[in-house]
Amino acid sequence: MADSKIKLAIIGMGRMGITHYSIINSHPDIQITAVADTSSLVLNLIKKYLKGTNTYSDYNKLFENESLDAIIVCTPPTLHYPIAQEAAQRGIHVFSEKPFTTDNQKAGELAELFSQKKLTNQVGYVNRFNDIFKTVKQYIEDDVIGNIIRFKSEMYSRTITKSEDGNTWRDSRENGGGAVYEVASHAIDLVNFLIGKPDKVTGSSLTNIFSKNVEDAVNATFLFENGTSGTLNVNWSDESFRKPTNKIEIFGSKGKILADQHGIKIFMKNACPEKNLRVGWNTLYITDVFQPVPFYVRGNEFTAQLYHFVECINDKKIENKCTFSNAKDTLDIIQAIFNDYELNGKF
Amino acid sequence: MMQPIDKVIFGDNQFFGINHMSQEKAQQLAEKFFDNPSIFNVYRMAFDSGIRAIMLNSNDRAKDICEHFTSNKTDYPEISWYPSIPYPHKYANLISEKGIVPTLNEVLFKNNSALGVLGMITKGSAAVLGKDAIKLMKMLIDIEMKMFKGLNAKVIFLQNIITDLLLGFGVKEIFQEYCYYIEKKYKALPGLITQNMPFLKSKLEEWEIEGVVICSSFNKIGYLMSPDMESYISAVKANDPSKYQLMAMSTLASGAIPSKEAYEFINRQNIQSVVFGASSKKHIDETVSLIDI
Repeated sequence: MADSKIKLAIIGMGRMGITHYSIINSHPDIQITAVADTSSLVLNLIKKYLKGTNTYSDYNKLFENESLDAIIVCTPPTLHYPIAQEAAQRGIHVFSEKPFTTDNQKAGELAELFSQKKLTNQVGYVNRFNDIFKTVKQYIEDDVIGNIIRFKSEMYSRTITKSEDGNTWRDSRENGGGAVYEVASHAIDLVNFLIGKPDKVTGSSLTNIFSKNVEDAVNATFLFENGTSGTLNVNWSDESFRKPTNKIEIFGSKGKILADQHGIKIFMKNACPEKNLRVGWNTLYITDVFQPVPFYVRGNEFTAQLYHFVECINDKKIENKCTFSNAKDTLDIIQAIFNDYELNGKF
Repeated sequence: MMQPIDKVIFGDNQFFGINHMSQEKAQQLAEKFFDNPSIFNVYRMAFDSGIRAIMLNSNDRAKDICEHFTSNKTDYPEISWYPSIPYPHKYANLISEKGIVPTLNEVLFKNNSALGVLGMITKGSAAVLGKDAIKLMKMLIDIEMKMFKGLNAKVIFLQNIITDLLLGFGVKEIFQEYCYYIEKKYKALPGLITQNMPFLKSKLEEWEIEGVVICSSFNKIGYLMSPDMESYISAVKANDPSKYQLMAMSTLASGAIPSKEAYEFINRQNIQSVVFGASSKKHIDETVSLIDI
């Protein structure tokens, strides 16, 4: 029955909006009723080829005219706050792209608002749905490597490899551009997800390689009150990487894990027969741990996160795996990096 | 009735540092094939073992490979080419950096001479083309296919990220026009690479688009096979090869399955072709001897 479907709109039809459209359109419970974007090229194409989808160049009009159950927000991050607020007033569930907002206070407000109104809220930190990082999380929870003593979280990509004019939102921190918001946010979220939220940030450095107004690389040290410490190392101008890559290294009292999106190497001080792990080095590949998804576009994790969003809308009892509150934690750390850099990172 | 495709096709992932299982393996391969002569050596090994078909994605290095084969035709046996277009990361990176419209402007209009008359259109015209996705698509196909000029292209494949993205949108005209254009302009069979073979095949049937080669992951462990193994097995079983020829890729699941085991499984399926990549004579010969479809 068409009427019982979840009516969904996508605001912002750039690269992520287009990907999300394709994936969520495959979900049997979803009916995409509208999109909003400022590009006339994109809107014209949708008008012509996707007859059942209404198009808007102004998201306010979309809210006024459409009766919606859920939205996916993929605009530049600076617009996420007003859009999410409007959605909350209207009782609409929201999936927002990372880094959610550019202001941790506002992120906190939204987290509170959505939780009060009992609306599903999720942010696109897609690594939480990657089968390898899920396995790492399980190992940590099951105490396979013992207490975590030190760690490294790294992310590299070849996103910005030339000097640019500096006139898009990506070249302005106020609008959510720069390597910290766009790339490092993933590496920080992975720390929060796997190890916990750091208590203190120190030793932050931001480096411009090609961009004029924003950083292309960032380093920082994370400290925890329980004695755990680790480092962050991110560079989005690294051409030695063909695809965006997250790497994590976790040194624990019983062993050590090295992982990226494709595999885990784990060194064990003692064997762990329940997990099929020998003493010394063990390797697990994505082919050992993957969970197939109903429809594949860009990696299992992209489908898994959106299907999880729908699952949470359908069943309020299911706990969302990447809430606004989780994203607020990442923004707190981002803010701490910027503050630390301003105070201590310059000569 | 479709023209039958080659049973064994030599792929290219190994040359370009692509391995879906391990980034370390990918890096080792990238280092091994840092120069083109080392790639040509492996192609020679493939020809020595009887392979006469090459699948090649239109990435930056493919241009040099194509140029080598067009200008040294007499040194090689008659080869059938199976281009796959486009190289998606090129577009993904440009779109991340600039946005969609500037990317199209750059790809379509930066190198004016490549497009002849169309190149005369002033910069900023991508927006005008937005009213006609079909024309836009044809221009992009021509740009990607330029490097294969002079080579005998038997099937022209749309790369899987693009196929599956479009499949999610579910627009019949785009698939119809792609197939029609490939047949008409390039006198080749239209091909679609996908990680959602059963769904794609059912949509093509619903849209009455026939005569297509469908290439998809197919392996014993169900890796990169959405929605699941059972759907693949039944879709393949029910297939009529006069309407759709099926080609298996990722048969070893990036090395997770030993070759003997992998091809025992593949040989039992109703598929018409296998594309595989290998970088040593031993592996090439072994694979060729194991494939019996």
